[in-house]
Amino acid sequence: MTTPGCPLLSVKGISKRFPGVQALAEVSLELDAGEIVGLVGENGAGKSTLIKTLGGIHQPETGEIRLDGETVEVLSVRDSMALGISLIHQELNLAENLSIAENIFLGKQPYRGPRWFQITDRAVMYERSRELLSRVGLDMSPRTRVQRLSVGQRQLVEIAKSLSVDARVLILDEPTSSLSLTEARRLLDLVKTLREDGVAILYVSHRLGEIIEICDRTVVLRDGKFAGSLERAEINTDRIVSLMVGRDIEKFYHRSEHKTSEKTALEVRDFQIPLAPESLNFSIHRGEIVGFAGLVGAGRTEMARALFGVDPTLSGKVIIHDRELSLGNPQHSIRAGLLLVPEDRKEEGLVLEETVAANISMAALPKLGAGGLYNRAAVQGLASRFIEALSIRTWGADQKVLNLSGGNQQKVVLAKWLAMEPRVLILDEPTRGVDVGAKSEIYELLFDLASKGVGILMISSEMEEVIAISDRVIVMQAQRIRGELSGEDITEENIMKLAIGDH
Amino acid sequence: MTEESKKKSARKLNDVTLQVLVMLGVLVTLMLATGATNPNFFSTFSLVSISRDVAIMSLFALGQAIVIISGGIDLSVGSLLCFIGVFNIVLLNRFSGLSFVEASLMVSAMAGLIGFIHGVLVCYLKLQPFLVTLCSLLAFRGLSRVITADRTVAFDAKDYPFFADLGQETWLGVPIAVYVLVAVLIPLLFFMHWTVPGRYLYAIGYNLEAARFSGVRVNALRIFSYVLCALLTTLAAILEASTIGSRTPSAAGLAYEMYGITAAVLGGCSLRGGQGSLIGVIIGVAMLRVIRSAVIFFEISTYWTFVVTGLVLLAAVITDVVVRGRRSSS
Repeated sequence: MTTPGCPLLSVKGISKRFPGVQALAEVSLELDAGEIVGLVGENGAGKSTLIKTLGGIHQPETGEIRLDGETVEVLSVRDSMALGISLIHQELNLAENLSIAENIFLGKQPYRGPRWFQITDRAVMYERSRELLSRVGLDMSPRTRVQRLSVGQRQLVEIAKSLSVDARVLILDEPTSSLSLTEARRLLDLVKTLREDGVAILYVSHRLGEIIEICDRTVVLRDGKFAGSLERAEINTDRIVSLMVGRDIEKFYHRSEHKTSEKTALEVRDFQIPLAPESLNFSIHRGEIVGFAGLVGAGRTEMARALFGVDPTLSGKVIIHDRELSLGNPQHSIRAGLLLVPEDRKEEGLVLEETVAANISMAALPKLGAGGLYNRAAVQGLASRFIEALSIRTWGADQKVLNLSGGNQQKVVLAKWLAMEPRVLILDEPTRGVDVGAKSEIYELLFDLASKGVGILMISSEMEEVIAISDRVIVMQAQRIRGELSGEDITEENIMKLAIGDH
Repeated sequence: MTEESKKKSARKLNDVTLQVLVMLGVLVTLMLATGATNPNFFSTFSLVSISRDVAIMSLFALGQAIVIISGGIDLSVGSLLCFIGVFNIVLLNRFSGLSFVEASLMVSAMAGLIGFIHGVLVCYLKLQPFLVTLCSLLAFRGLSRVITADRTVAFDAKDYPFFADLGQETWLGVPIAVYVLVAVLIPLLFFMHWTVPGRYLYAIGYNLEAARFSGVRVNALRIFSYVLCALLTTLAAILEASTIGSRTPSAAGLAYEMYGITAAVLGGCSLRGGQGSLIGVIIGVAMLRVIRSAVIFFEISTYWTFVVTGLVLLAAVITDVVVRGRRSSS
């Protein structure tokens, strides 16, 4: 099938820009039939953008994609599938209420009868499903509903679905991230078998152990650029990490000399959240900024939500300024001064349809008017005070938050909590989708709060940010605290090693 | 920001107000047109009857609107209105020692409890409000028929003159029901616009999660909205029972939940929550009632009433979508 001398799939000089960020810059990649190529990089290095480009979800601005040496256009998911490229997302896309067979043949069920009156040919569908399932090693009836399957089994159904259209290129995005050990084992074996069958496989994973085990070659991305490629014999943890990091961290964000207090602002003891393998223990001093680093899905957001009380906690103690917090209720947390700037600004942080003033005063409203009355003047006063203090760019307190930029929206969320006199401020990805200017303003604000004795817990997947502004960094992996770094030890290499969980 | 964009944003803020004004214009036009065709429309008898009906309907429609504003829905009002009316009369007939006020307090307490249960099921068992209140719609219609063996019940106006007067009398030419509505509306307006819980109900309707993350007691407030709706329905139930003097369990309050929702939407409520004007709801109810009269006065078969109502609602919804679409794209 392949023309000798030219690779099955080749990507040349692909670039893609999103507002405010160059997601991919001149990236090239080659992939041959019967080959497994690993794709690694930090969060935001451009892996997702690259595979989504191949999957037809994003269209690159420059560069070309060649299949069998011929330039092809991948303008839609349909195009990509027609070319034999199959992308299996980390979040699986199966209709849970349908059977395995119906999912495999969704949109392309074998039928009898004329085109305008199709009757599903169940016999054929089940027969072919059985063949595919035996190929991926899933010993189940094709009639089983997907909702009864484990995540690992669903992953196998996704692969069977790809095989049903004779995918020549299979792209797997973090396929083992939510699998048990045995399931992951089985998946890796299947991937190897598929290689024997001549499928070209692009394997995206944070788990370097898997990359080392199965990949014939590994491509490393960094900041949207090609950082290097390693042949099978060269692949090892140290080399991958050094390629992933590979740059000097510039200290963009300068924090003046400061001392953190001896007193603790937040103490978390034996804090156990549902489904976590072990409990969490840590503390934050007054005036200290503690960065929580880790890969996406390391359990940091879950921890933050449980601490704030919007999700339940199984057991444990949280102490704020020497007073124990009663868990599981955000109202208690707010009263105690423990506040959360949530990860999803638009869904959890703001009422987008309401005005800047309404959002800033959302939590402080009961304090502003006596006897539960709505004090419009006080609300407006509070809003203008913070619009000025945080230089929120809006034409007025009555503008809907919907119409503000990401950075200004985030400042509104911060203003809401500043109005509540924070003792401990938890921020979950506070600068995601925020432009550079507003970013440094937000950092300044955090430094200012810290200097006033607020303990700050900042979850961030942006390495530079964590390194630049944290006094101390706690690294989480697989819902556990893997280590703690401070002072000179806060380096990208050290964080990455802990975050990958590979020592 | 430029002067122009300022104006544009300022105009956008008034989506609901604009809709209310348009509805008011349509209402007045419809009334004038009907009056011009048939001067009887403006007779005292007609106006008293219309204003009384509007007042009664508005009471539960306001309750529904508040539930809708906070992001829920209450389909039970029609059946509940029937059940409360029936139960009130049954109480009076069965226990001769019971005064009208005592019986009313008892049914109010019961209604409050029903609203509370709706709220708890929605907030704590996370059931969909549509389903919870649909169950009540079915159950209370059935219960009304069970406790009466499906027979019409009536009270004797001589024994309970106050009960009878409430719905039937006028003061200064205006039905008592209208005074009741005003007495309820003023505190409700104040509550929705000038108290913290009122503002929070709007926020909850727009974005429940954001309100919860801001420490708003979202469950307490949502439960409260259902209780309020049930209590307002009780008021409407007592007034309507009084006006008619009897209750027929299979027919009283039939499809009222649909009137209430229609009025709320005509009055600017979004079924997605967060939006709505109480004044608009009353205008919406008035529209529905005037359409009913207009159909009669224009001498069209009354079978057409629902057809016209449906088309008016559809027109309002389409206009709303088109106008909003145009404004947000401009």
